[in-house]
Amino acid sequence: MSSHCGTRKRRYRRGKKFRGGIHGTVLLMGLPNVGKSAIFSRFTGLDVMVSNYFGTTVEFYEGPMRLGEKNYLLKDAPGIYNLEEPSDDAERVAAKMLDEEPDAVVFVLDALNFESSLHLLLQVLEKNIPTVVALNRSDLMRPRGIAIDHGLLQRRLGVNVLPTVALRGNSLDVVKYALENAIGTKTEYDVPGPNKRWNLVEQLTSDAFRREPKKERSDKHGFLVKPWPGIPIALAVLALVFSFVIGFGMGLRQFVLLPFFRGFLFVHIENAVEALFTSEVLKNILIGEDYGFLIKGIEWPFALVLPYVISFYAAMSLLEDVGYLPRLAVLLDGLFKKVGLNGSSIIPLLLGYGCGIPAIMATRSLPSKKQRISVATMVCFAVPCVAQTGVFIALVAAQSIPAFLAIFAISILALVIIGVILDKVNKQQAPPTLFELPELLWPKPKLLWKKISFRIRHYLKDGAVPMVIAVAFVAVFYELGALQALGRAAAPLVSGWLHLPEEAATSLVLGIVRRELTLVVLEPMGLSTVQFFTASLVALFYVPCIAMIATLAKEFSIRTAVVILVLTTVTALFLGGLFAQMAALITA
Amino acid sequence: MTTIANRETKHESNTTDSLGTLLKGEEGIIHAVPEMGLLASLGLRRGKKVRLVSKTPAHGPLVLSVDERSVAIDRTLAERIIVRR
Repeated sequence: MSSHCGTRKRRYRRGKKFRGGIHGTVLLMGLPNVGKSAIFSRFTGLDVMVSNYFGTTVEFYEGPMRLGEKNYLLKDAPGIYNLEEPSDDAERVAAKMLDEEPDAVVFVLDALNFESSLHLLLQVLEKNIPTVVALNRSDLMRPRGIAIDHGLLQRRLGVNVLPTVALRGNSLDVVKYALENAIGTKTEYDVPGPNKRWNLVEQLTSDAFRREPKKERSDKHGFLVKPWPGIPIALAVLALVFSFVIGFGMGLRQFVLLPFFRGFLFVHIENAVEALFTSEVLKNILIGEDYGFLIKGIEWPFALVLPYVISFYAAMSLLEDVGYLPRLAVLLDGLFKKVGLNGSSIIPLLLGYGCGIPAIMATRSLPSKKQRISVATMVCFAVPCVAQTGVFIALVAAQSIPAFLAIFAISILALVIIGVILDKVNKQQAPPTLFELPELLWPKPKLLWKKISFRIRHYLKDGAVPMVIAVAFVAVFYELGALQALGRAAAPLVSGWLHLPEEAATSLVLGIVRRELTLVVLEPMGLSTVQFFTASLVALFYVPCIAMIATLAKEFSIRTAVVILVLTTVTALFLGGLFAQMAALITA
Repeated sequence: MTTIANRETKHESNTTDSLGTLLKGEEGIIHAVPEMGLLASLGLRRGKKVRLVSKTPAHGPLVLSVDERSVAIDRTLAERIIVRR
């Protein structure tokens, strides 16, 4: 957390200087889901960053790789099936990256997707860039009765073909060595033009590829995509994830973080502040009961939200790495098609339960503009981010479990309603579904940890820091009486319509900064369950945070961002007020 | 090891129909495929043996097994692929 400004900019700026200088670039290419990223993380150290291809929204990883005495920038191109017929933005970027003539290419040839890999390899070799082929997953070949004569491939194509196991480092040193020797050499590969490609692929396959008759059917995981037992399993998986996120997060908060913060850190902070300062105003700003900056500014981001960030990304990364999500997408595809969406929309929606920003960015993989806007709107309206959920759990569930569950039921109902409405507004059919279901894999703890820690670090930089700053502002303005004045100005809305205490106006202002702040600042106000439920309804539908609005404007247009901003605000205040008024009628 | 050629001759005499008509668990050899790069890259090419693994609910996509891979394909698209049983 050394710097809080410009972190986002740095993530997206291209060509960051890595230590020691960079001699050139090496491109890592292959089909989607062939273990490219595992190879990438083996080749590069921790100094990896997410980059944005110039002029597009596609992200890829790049990091320095040492070859002999020199450093090269290794770029992990998005997975692609066909260079000449890219089917989405990511594939177009992969094709463009190759056109920029890197110094060398590491091509990941997948032993299990041999023919399609080979077809892509021929396309790559036609560019005559020095290439080294890593025949990946060679450890899985024997158990599956596959044998590949890599020597034959090497002779026919004139390219180095090296059997590797991405998840074990040693075989990759051989690839590095071959790369070092290949860079700078003039190459001309013996490959045919476009018309003969599939012919050569089939010929090479029949000569170099052997597969014993299978003992085991290849679709042994097929049951996951059959209505029975696939649907009950999907429900069970989602229920399990939900309870893990909540249970683990709660445990972490109750038994690890709170005892540390409240029992240890805060005691020392309070003692230190008491000893150092005499001014009551200053003391209140720093350690005051309501919004003491050094207390709430630390507790909220790190003891209230962080535990759920950890548990959510642990669960999500596990689901991703196992390869279950595409199966969920297939099962739901039929249902989503009813509202003109593809089943793959479930992935950004699920990510939205973590944070709206990656969710909006993940809509890039959806096939049409309509789908992107629909799913982004759904996320902004009715998918609470993990920080919000953390607050729902800590504040609402603590008062009333049914109220907490009702909020989630309303969230899901709202998703369906929004989906139906958006489909009525823009009647455009979803394009036909066509994708490969990647193999189910046991997660690799090391890679999993890398992914989870990457996302947690990202939260600490882009999530926790703004929250600390926001709490500092609240602490100061509260002490100066500015919030109270604001509350009086907004009284008709806040206390008249929503039946919340006047100071709750703060929450509507702060909710724009961070979604969870809408609720969290209400904590010291001692609300009733009805008031908490009203506030939760408002918080659920209320404006996406400022970072999400910026993301919307960047990904779509300022107009889209403004429309969503207005619609969410109106919906939130309308529904929240409606509930408050009805509750008042019933109790009166 | 079966080459594409002899796989085809074995089934020469059988009838052709759309891929969408396969029953769950049934196999067929692809006879004709629409011109689409992605279909070819996913292994759906003439002469390939496919098995229908699942028909997903709510008229969702079909899941096929081709070579060692699983491919999800829209029913409308599957109907344009002709297979021999």
